[in-house]
Amino acid sequence: MTLVRPARFFDFIPFQRGWEPIRVAAIASAILLVAAGLSLTGYSAQIERSERAEQAQAQARILAASVSGELAFDDVRGARDYLNALLANPAVEGAAVYDSSGRLFAQGARPGQTVPARGLSRRNLFEGSHLIIVTPVTQAGVAMGSVYLRTAIEPAGRRLARYAGVALLAAFAALVIFVLAAAHGALSRANHALEDRAEDLAAANLALTREMEERAKAEEALRQGQKMEALGKLTGGVAHDFNNLLMVASGGLELLDRTENPERRRKLKDGIREAVDRGARLTRQLLAFSRRSPLHAEVVDLGTRLDGIRVLLDRSLREDISVRIVRPTGLWPVEIDPGEFDVALLNIAVNARDAMPKGGEIKISARNMPAVDKDDLVGDFVELSITDQGEGMAPDVAAQVFEPFFTTKAVGQGTGLGLSQVYGFVRASGGQASVESRLGEGTTLTLLFPRAARAAPRAPATAPRAAAPLPEGKDRRILLVDDDDSVASAVEAMLEELGYQVVRAADAGEALTTLDQDQGFDIVLSDMVMPGEMGGIDLAREIARRHQGLPVVLSTGYSDAAAIAVRERVRLLTKPYRLDSLAAELDAAVAEGELKRSATA
Amino acid sequence: MFRGVDTGRVGKSAWATAAVTVAVLCLASSALAEPSLEYAVKAAYLYKLAAFVDWPPSSFEGPSSPLHICIIGDDPFKTTLDQAVAGVSIAGRPVQVARHDAAQPNMGCQIAYVAGSPAQSRADALRVLKGEAVLTVTDQGRDPGAEQGIVSFVLKDNRVRFEIDQREAIDDHLALSGKLLSLALEVRR
Repeated sequence: MTLVRPARFFDFIPFQRGWEPIRVAAIASAILLVAAGLSLTGYSAQIERSERAEQAQAQARILAASVSGELAFDDVRGARDYLNALLANPAVEGAAVYDSSGRLFAQGARPGQTVPARGLSRRNLFEGSHLIIVTPVTQAGVAMGSVYLRTAIEPAGRRLARYAGVALLAAFAALVIFVLAAAHGALSRANHALEDRAEDLAAANLALTREMEERAKAEEALRQGQKMEALGKLTGGVAHDFNNLLMVASGGLELLDRTENPERRRKLKDGIREAVDRGARLTRQLLAFSRRSPLHAEVVDLGTRLDGIRVLLDRSLREDISVRIVRPTGLWPVEIDPGEFDVALLNIAVNARDAMPKGGEIKISARNMPAVDKDDLVGDFVELSITDQGEGMAPDVAAQVFEPFFTTKAVGQGTGLGLSQVYGFVRASGGQASVESRLGEGTTLTLLFPRAARAAPRAPATAPRAAAPLPEGKDRRILLVDDDDSVASAVEAMLEELGYQVVRAADAGEALTTLDQDQGFDIVLSDMVMPGEMGGIDLAREIARRHQGLPVVLSTGYSDAAAIAVRERVRLLTKPYRLDSLAAELDAAVAEGELKRSATA
Repeated sequence: MFRGVDTGRVGKSAWATAAVTVAVLCLASSALAEPSLEYAVKAAYLYKLAAFVDWPPSSFEGPSSPLHICIIGDDPFKTTLDQAVAGVSIAGRPVQVARHDAAQPNMGCQIAYVAGSPAQSRADALRVLKGEAVLTVTDQGRDPGAEQGIVSFVLKDNRVRFEIDQREAIDDHLALSGKLLSLALEVRR
């Protein structure tokens, strides 16, 4: 199943390369050690042997010299004393004295040992591990006889001990070799196992990668399907809402033509305006969900804001739904986009309303939350919680409420974007949104907003729009650049209403040509996204280069372009805009241009 | 004066001496079977003694001049001594046996077995040799209690042993080997 490729494996594992020489060296040194031990033992045994032989010869000579008298004068007892003294040496196995005629004169031997019955001729003779020495006894040149001495070269016990030492050494060396071999074997086996495992792992990895690719494809397909489904839902929802708005607007316009009653005309106009506002809100909601709309953050007082929105809520909800706002005094200011805040609150309220088909109370309460340290939220926060008495949600539903396009409502009744707008808005404001719900016990949505460093400005009393005094155009000349004729004519009408003299250009090139020929313009208002090589941003740059000090205001409904404008420090009006904001923006731009001109002058 | 003392001593213990001598001889004869065997041993001892004795160099004419063993008085060895020393040389000196009836000064003997004879008593012979570098040897068994020279053979436990008078040896300028002294039954110092 597995191919063994040691060479490749050794290349793969770095320390394997160093191991082989070490192993060889270890075994070689172990063998050398044994060899050295053996040769040393042999050498020392050789030395020992010759030393023993010399010692035995010396002993024989001493014996011979000692017993000459005894031999000469037949003192067997004296000779025996000498022999016995000699036998005190454990190496001596037997000794004997023979007279000159070779007769045994005296003998001494260990148990089980014998000496020759007749004297031998002079010699040194090794018999195995025994040494036999025969030395003549002479006195003053007279041969008295001979002595016989047999010694063990080495006592058996000591020899055994020596051999045991060598054996031990050899055993140790063998053990070392064995252990090394075993270790090497184990290592090889482990390496093979590791290799097998690595291959298995690689195979598993490959399989996993394939699986992941397939899964990614499947997920992609699923996502595509979901996107299509979401798009279908969104389209349905948005189309439905827009149709309703358009119905109101077109119906209102038609009726406007048919009536002269000022009161009725006012109501119809209000209805149309309401429908248009809702349309704008709807698109803003979509953009907020996609987080492409730039937030116009302001420092606001939530309490004041809640009071303001109460009217809106009362109008949006049914009669059987009451709203209770609990707000303590001394709430910290927060920095949020007030418009988005209104939309978020409206979205939540509408959801709460829909959750309470039989009516009930929506409680909105706010409080300060000092020194929060939860997840990525650190610092002071203001908590806003909205609680309904509705049906509540199962946990799996609650977990999805912030997901875009998630809705429990029938097609056409909701876009599924409401709470996702809430989530996007709160996150973009540096806070957090959470939901708590139980089936049959209602739902509580909790929003946390970071405390603003600055205090909220005292809000001017919101005057009715119609009563707002419009700033006057003062016969200023304005160059309007827009490629869309209908938009251009609508804006032109608005500008004329504000007292501006309007000259229109269809694109950036035409606008530049007009400006070059006519220096009498006070301000330029241009669409940002236009066909042709030059867009609104490029036009603004070019104007800044050619006609320094001429103020330019760009307008767009497209949020990406808006972001670029903000980066380029160009004044921006986001579509759709109202007359009053148009007037204010233009006024501010002109004032700024005059300030710049006077500064450079 | 010496003679008087000697004779007096002999006279006092004549019976005792006679009894001892008879007993010893009986013992020796029973142990060694024959007197000739006893003297064969003594003959061997006689020349072997030479191996354990150092004479002053002036005792010899030259380094290889023979060593003389003299028998002074009655010869108890007969031919055994001659047989024993045949072909023997001690420290490179051939051994020669000479027999004399009486001792005389400067006889050229290195070893003198003094047996005594009717012509010259053992004591007289020993007295003649006194002061000379001669190893005097006597047979105690033959004349116990008398002057005994430097080495005197005795029989003990059926064996021929000897006693040594080292003082006399020193007087005679002879160096006796320690081995010889250790083998002696008794050493007079």
